[in-house]
Amino acid sequence: MIDRKIETDVLVIGGGGGGLRAAVAAHDTGAKVLVLSKGIVGKSGLTQTAVTGFQVALGYADPRDNPAVHYADSMKGSYGLADGELVEIFTREGIDAFKDIEDFGARFDRDSDGSLIQRKLDSSQTYARSVKKGDALGTPIMQALRRQTNKRKIGRLHEVFVTKILKDDDKVAGAVGVDFRTGEILQIKAGAIIIAAGGAGELFPVNSNTPDSTGDGYVLALEAGADLVDMEFILMLGHAVLHPRAVRGVLFTFQYLLPKGARQLYNSDGETFLAKYDPEGSNNPARHIYARAIYGEVRAGRGSLHGGAYFDPGSVTEKTLLESLPSQTKYLESFGVDMTKPLEVGVAAHYMCGGIKIDADAQSTLKGLFAVGEVSGGPHGGGRIGGNSLTEILVFGKRAGDAAAELALTQREISMDLKQVNTASKSLLKHLKEDRNGKRPNEIKKNLQEIMNENVGVVRNENGLKSAVKSIKKIISTDLNEMSLSNRERVANYDWIEALEVSFMLRLGQVLAGAAMMRAESRGAHYREDFPKQNDSEWLKNILIRKKNEVLEFEAKPVNKWQFG
Amino acid sequence: METIEITLFRYDPKVDLEGKEVSYEISTDGPISVLQAIRRVYQKKDASLSFRNSDCRRGVCGICSMMVDGRRKLTCMCLAKHGMVVGPPPNRRVIKDLVFETD
Repeated sequence: MIDRKIETDVLVIGGGGGGLRAAVAAHDTGAKVLVLSKGIVGKSGLTQTAVTGFQVALGYADPRDNPAVHYADSMKGSYGLADGELVEIFTREGIDAFKDIEDFGARFDRDSDGSLIQRKLDSSQTYARSVKKGDALGTPIMQALRRQTNKRKIGRLHEVFVTKILKDDDKVAGAVGVDFRTGEILQIKAGAIIIAAGGAGELFPVNSNTPDSTGDGYVLALEAGADLVDMEFILMLGHAVLHPRAVRGVLFTFQYLLPKGARQLYNSDGETFLAKYDPEGSNNPARHIYARAIYGEVRAGRGSLHGGAYFDPGSVTEKTLLESLPSQTKYLESFGVDMTKPLEVGVAAHYMCGGIKIDADAQSTLKGLFAVGEVSGGPHGGGRIGGNSLTEILVFGKRAGDAAAELALTQREISMDLKQVNTASKSLLKHLKEDRNGKRPNEIKKNLQEIMNENVGVVRNENGLKSAVKSIKKIISTDLNEMSLSNRERVANYDWIEALEVSFMLRLGQVLAGAAMMRAESRGAHYREDFPKQNDSEWLKNILIRKKNEVLEFEAKPVNKWQFG
Repeated sequence: METIEITLFRYDPKVDLEGKEVSYEISTDGPISVLQAIRRVYQKKDASLSFRNSDCRRGVCGICSMMVDGRRKLTCMCLAKHGMVVGPPPNRRVIKDLVFETD
């Protein structure tokens, strides 16, 4: 049933920033590397869309800033749940990672005297720490990484969707996937695998992610036997554009305009409301507070026309807009939005704070399986402050590449288990069987998005979470088995790809709802209206999730106590 | 709700000797991008339509670039209008419908 067999030392799943950084490092350590992506390697993924920030404690804007302050900000923003060892690593090594990416050719904005410009997004940063390049940080980083990948002639495969991690005893042996363009089933033998497959925003109807962010990576790791962690923490933002429909979900980082004369968000009564939702009373609070505040106002009947809040640029001029947020302003204007008039913004799913639990080498609890970027868990705990993601993917991308290459080059020969290969291949092809006449993938996806939005979104409670778990279980046992496709062709059949994605999304939905149900408190990106307070005496714990004998296990474990330095 | 007609290039290598243009009527709740219109055809009209779905949807990646009324455009960055014709760029080998060779 296998159409094509490939061998490599290190397989990287995902061609965004984390994946390419890992690929470059693994190559430079001497390994044969193959990067593949469900989309286009180097062009798909979320990194390129980064607009919020890139935090590096270089101390240009304020000489009092350093990695220790960045560490403290990040730990506070994680609500005490991040793995301190990992946070120390990315705040310290962020400085070298920044120098590396500059050496790779990325350029950032500097003052006339040559010092880097650093700015501050919100109250989660003690000092202005985000370097900038206009407002499109992902572009220079991806350009530089693409150039390095090309220069090294690193192997890449576009539009290959991995659906199974293969094992040899207790470590990884490779993967099985499908090539979208040809419909061929591929078997890839690899000594080490780095998952850099991004997040899961598509589980929610309004999200800031790319449309292929369906959470495949988490489920691949979980089913291979690796632990996930902190999966209840889904960062929802309140600065997504809601209207017009054509741009819905795209982020507009208006926080940067507040010091320049813009008015803070207001509701349909014309009242500002953010400070009353922030325990610290800040009028520009951390990002997840925005989402909760807008949600609260909408629920109280004070929402904007399309279910959000209003942002008024006030005295901010077109010139300032183009200086501060050039790419976002031009993008919105191309759809006819008048940027000098009030804009409706609201809640969008943005980032999974948890993921595949990693150690200092970015290795998961399964030997030979590494994870980088949004799909990994541990660096951010209960919340991620804006601008830490780019820092983290570059630091742990390098670490994962180094360690994966080292492992692949030194371990004994791995053997492929034919039975696993055949099972994986069969489960890929079963979607194309003729005797199905159930719902279409797209209908099931829509149904799941509604369940998630209603019960596992900004505000949660026990009844809602229970009903989500129950509904998803039912969809898996009924609709998923009967799911039918419009055609059974293998070549470029997007309906088939969506069927595979939906199957991943449903399994991930169970994990998210299950973890959110277990955490009987509110903390960071997780808010339970039936337990509205943070409970440090019982819940300074991470929830670990693993699959044993086909059953999900949730374990609450006290946090890793760590001291910086 | 408003109804617009959009014409898409269709080509199935198994059946067709050459590509053809097929028109679809879709309803929209306000202005949508050409890319969203293509997705809507897939969702509501014909799920056998092949297209790419790994784009950034905000004018950065270039994956969604196609011919719109004879001009190469990022389909995520232009508004869908009644009567528009969308297809792959010339000189690219078409794999199926709106999926064509990239490099």
